[in-house]
Amino acid sequence: MTAVTVRGLNLYYGQRQILTEIALEVLAGEFLVIIGPNGTGKTSLLKAMAGLLPASGTIEILGQPLAGYGRRLLARELAVVPQLTPSDFPFTVAETVLMGRSPHLGLLELEGAEDHRLARQAMAFTEVSHLADRRLDELSGGERQRVIIARAICQGPRIILLDEPTASLDPAHQVRILDLLEKLRREQGMTVIMVSHDLNLAAMYGGRLVLMSEGRIAAVGRPAEVLTVARLEACYGCRMEVVRSEVGGQLRVHPLAAVIGG
Amino acid sequence: MLRKLPAMALCLALLLGPGLCPARTLVDQADRSVVLPERPQRVVSLAPSITEVVFALGRQDLLKGTTQYSDDPPAAKELPRVGSYVRLDIEKILALKPDLCLAIKDGNPLHSVTRLEELGIPVYVVDPHNLAGIIGMITGLGEVLGAAEPATKITSAMRARAQRIAVRLGSSPSRPRVFFQIDASPIVSAGRGTFIDELINLAGGRNLAAASEGYPRFSWEELLRLDPEVAIVASMAGGFSVAELKAGWQKWPTLTAVKNQRLHVIDASLVDRPTPRLLDGLEAFARIIHPEIFGVPLAN
Amino acid sequence: MGCPLRIETWPIGRRLLLALLVLGGLLALAILLGLSLGSSPIGFGEVLDILTGRGTPDPTALAIVRQIRLPRVVLAAVTGATLALGGLVFQALLRNPLAEPYILGVSGGSAIGAIVGMLAGLAPFPGVAGAAFTGSSLVLLLLLLLSGRGMLASRDALLLGGVMLNAFCGAVIMFLISLSSREEVRHILFWLMGDLSMFTPAQFPLLLAVLPSFLLILALARPMNLLLLGRDNAATLGVNVRLVNGLLLGATTLMVSLVVCQAGLIGFVGLVVPHVLRLLLGADHRLLAPASMLGGASYLILCDLLARSLPAQGEMPVGIVTALVGAPLFIFLLWRARR
Repeated sequence: MTAVTVRGLNLYYGQRQILTEIALEVLAGEFLVIIGPNGTGKTSLLKAMAGLLPASGTIEILGQPLAGYGRRLLARELAVVPQLTPSDFPFTVAETVLMGRSPHLGLLELEGAEDHRLARQAMAFTEVSHLADRRLDELSGGERQRVIIARAICQGPRIILLDEPTASLDPAHQVRILDLLEKLRREQGMTVIMVSHDLNLAAMYGGRLVLMSEGRIAAVGRPAEVLTVARLEACYGCRMEVVRSEVGGQLRVHPLAAVIGG
Repeated sequence: MLRKLPAMALCLALLLGPGLCPARTLVDQADRSVVLPERPQRVVSLAPSITEVVFALGRQDLLKGTTQYSDDPPAAKELPRVGSYVRLDIEKILALKPDLCLAIKDGNPLHSVTRLEELGIPVYVVDPHNLAGIIGMITGLGEVLGAAEPATKITSAMRARAQRIAVRLGSSPSRPRVFFQIDASPIVSAGRGTFIDELINLAGGRNLAAASEGYPRFSWEELLRLDPEVAIVASMAGGFSVAELKAGWQKWPTLTAVKNQRLHVIDASLVDRPTPRLLDGLEAFARIIHPEIFGVPLAN
Repeated sequence: MGCPLRIETWPIGRRLLLALLVLGGLLALAILLGLSLGSSPIGFGEVLDILTGRGTPDPTALAIVRQIRLPRVVLAAVTGATLALGGLVFQALLRNPLAEPYILGVSGGSAIGAIVGMLAGLAPFPGVAGAAFTGSSLVLLLLLLLSGRGMLASRDALLLGGVMLNAFCGAVIMFLISLSSREEVRHILFWLMGDLSMFTPAQFPLLLAVLPSFLLILALARPMNLLLLGRDNAATLGVNVRLVNGLLLGATTLMVSLVVCQAGLIGFVGLVVPHVLRLLLGADHRLLAPASMLGGASYLILCDLLARSLPAQGEMPVGIVTALVGAPLFIFLLWRARR
């Protein structure tokens, strides 16, 4: 059962082509990480999948064409956790998480008991319940990300898209958030599609990796298959070292020098 | 509630008036047909000049209110104020329970007049835009307020004074170039269609600002080109003192008016009020412009 | 930072009830004051009698309250509600706390129209009002053309276009003023500073025309919350951003133009009222929208009362009072926000 199917996707920004002939199948319940150098279109691919960018080609969400979904219906199946949330957002944590219920509410409907329960559940899951009455702009980066993930969970989706969710967090928080997502996947069958810079985290958590290069998919597969020295050096243009960690056998990628041949 | 407004206005008209008193229809100076009481008891004047005329007609006992700056005669200062003549306080007017209001065209805003009439108060409009108009206003107000005789006396006197001046001027061929300064910084004069223009003409002068209507502006450069023979300055023009105003002109000794020392300052109220006092202004102008006929002007 | 009662942590239903009760009560009080106070004081009791049709009130008082003060209070209420709501919407649409309902050229366009109407000697209604409305419509049309299709999604295009048009209109206004006579200039200034005294009951239908806008904006209150997250994030939460932006923009500019063409340019209502309420009630627009309407109405009624009662000689334009009260209030709010 596929969560997201992409076929023949081409994306242009003015005259520039950002994505070329992207074809991808994301299975339900898998943890997919999209990696690649800056500017290869990782975020654009994510946005196209979320219906935020107009692109030619076919995208299917849960077997239905993306174009056929209305905004509200799509929001009930697919949630997006952006890289940045405006820091001057004047709402409390509880109010923010509750906004995740919007796609389920009629125009003039107020949130009911069930909505509040789901919001509390989501906050408990991401361990932000103790921050419920604090304003969003008073929180640290890590706390704020957990709140946004709680909001995404509240939407009750089957697919979560995340754009570099751990980019500005310290290692402890990075691991904490990714553990959360893995828990979601395991316990609720959530499909997680994440864009990340961090090759090691991708190796740790990704069930499959998609390596992108210059707007195309260079490789798709399990971490061990995709993270080979040859591929990485071709993609990133710098010397790489791929090793197995001594503690637990985890795959590790280290950049070695700026330019190949140096 | 809104639908009942016309009915309410009618009720008000009946209630505010002193019972069902007899009414008559007159045509006012704005060519409007006005239904007003035969004998108005409570009159509100909407301009200082109207108040002045009502006092002159001896009917000040009918006046219950007037606008700001109604200071002539001094007794008028005692009357309750109903706002300024450009921004009337309709509420205050209503509170005085008038059965007639006296308005001035080109002074009181039309929509205020309409408002008062909608509220059931008849408004008689006067339009004293020149000497003939002032005479018409006094005659009209005399008829409205039951003071036809005093009105005739005043208007005859006015006509007589104007006539005397016209007769004595009659033969004089010269019409000196006259410039009247109303305001300083910028210099403003009075063009066609103003009282001042009419007075200058009647006093045997030629108004240098007559090319424009209303109140045109002039620069000193234009004045040097126009070269007035007589310069008359309104006192308090631009807020300056008499000395300052004169000094402004004396900076240009080439001007004929300055060379021949024909620079005069007069009290502005002699020429800006549409009242019988305008004749005083006419006589002052006549002395200033043609001292050879009328005698030396009174002291500045 | 918020109100010490932390009202923003209460459930939305309870907040709404509290806000409607308190602000509704304030509005009722403001209306009562507006009808009782003025050049001739009329007691509360008598006003209530007149409103409910009881007893036999003095006919002069009846006329004053019903024919002079009531239309004026109604105009103040509707104008205040419109401007405050308009300010709220623009602050959400443009994600800018300094936004107010005139920012997109409504003020410049309607001012030019009104001035042209006044110089042409038209009556205040329908002449000058019609000209003002035409002026603002033309300027908005121009803004649409200038910002292009990106306008409905990009707030920067909107903002820049609007500010530029207002500046240009400002220059045209100065030019027109320089051509005017002294009397005309005085009229123009009163219009530019806001003037509630020209209202006649014949204009009531025009006031009612703002109701559809009110209803539409109230219905879009929750999407307004989501718009604060930015275009993309709002979309992923189920908001049709282009449609909502378009509807909000259209409804707001229409209703603001309608009140401006009758009341002139009254400032600081759209800027200050939403901010004060946001401070007290939290940022949820489902609360702020009705609250802004009630609060704006009360605020303008009271300011207008001051404008016509305070000065010794006749009234001053209400825009002066809203500025004198609103500007210090706004500065105080900014200062508190920094702490």
